[in-house]
Amino acid sequence: MHFVTGGAFNGKKAWVKDNYACAKWISFYDGDKLPKTLENSSSQRIVFEGVERWTKESLEKMTIDEARAHLRNCLDQWLEWENAKANRSMIIIGADIMKGIVPMQKEERDWRDLTGWFYQDLARRSKRVDVIWYGINQTIKMGE
Amino acid sequence: METTTSITFITGGVRSGKSSFAERIAIQKAEEIGGSLHYIATGRATDSEMRLRIKRHQEDRNKSGHSWKTWEKETNISTLATEFNKKDVILLDCLTTMLSNELFAHEADWVEQRLEKKEVFQRIWQGIKEIADYSNQVVLVSNEVLNEPILPNELLVTYSELLGKLHQKIVRYAESAYLVEAGVPLLMKMHVQKGG
Repeated sequence: MHFVTGGAFNGKKAWVKDNYACAKWISFYDGDKLPKTLENSSSQRIVFEGVERWTKESLEKMTIDEARAHLRNCLDQWLEWENAKANRSMIIIGADIMKGIVPMQKEERDWRDLTGWFYQDLARRSKRVDVIWYGINQTIKMGE
Repeated sequence: METTTSITFITGGVRSGKSSFAERIAIQKAEEIGGSLHYIATGRATDSEMRLRIKRHQEDRNKSGHSWKTWEKETNISTLATEFNKKDVILLDCLTTMLSNELFAHEADWVEQRLEKKEVFQRIWQGIKEIADYSNQVVLVSNEVLNEPILPNELLVTYSELLGKLHQKIVRYAESAYLVEAGVPLLMKMHVQKGG
């Protein structure tokens, strides 16, 4: 798993497209839902885009604790799929929404907290993590 | 390899020390070439506090023993380009203010937003490029504002998208790019000249 983050409109998608050809894209911005399982996927390389919006969406249906457990559960399932075959890989793109002033509204605070926690889960379990800054990547984690 | 232009891009958070670092870079460049220093002020003196801040900044710059020529230009900076020559170093502070000036100057035509977006992008990018072509070096200061949720407001989304795309474009063409954190400049990009 490769986690790609960075601010909004920083060129994350373009960077992933340049670095990973022939992938199946599952994007919030194309109206895709967050998949619970990837077992039915025909592609061996999957890109998830818009994680920061799926976290928000999940908070519409559940509490922050439930959402965190739910996302972790999804992540377990995806990793199980990825680890089942050597040629499988996942690239996950999530915008950094965590560096502003603490929002006044609880829903906004929850969204930010949930997203930050989930990114920590993603980074911990990824082999590689990159931050994209206006098209330039900085590799902040590279496992063997 | 893409061609680079003589632009140094500097960004950072509020009060990160990016402006002082940008001034140092500009002074250093001017000394290297025995050139003159120019400052393009994009801020609008809309109230007395702003006027005072602008005045204090001007005094600070001139107190440092270097003399700066100040150009006040809120929009359409490309019209300044022909004022400069290869002995001039230009400091432009900052891009975020210029972008809001450009967007709000044309707020009335906001219905034509999609058209407007491209136009604003081109106007700003061409302006920067032209000034860089005429002068020796443009030192460009901007802000890190894209790492928080963008409010679901059309104008803010457009502003963020334009700023992000301008930053990407500038970084791609800049000779060097820095991110200033708590006064410490982190070098993000440096174009090494080949041959010689």
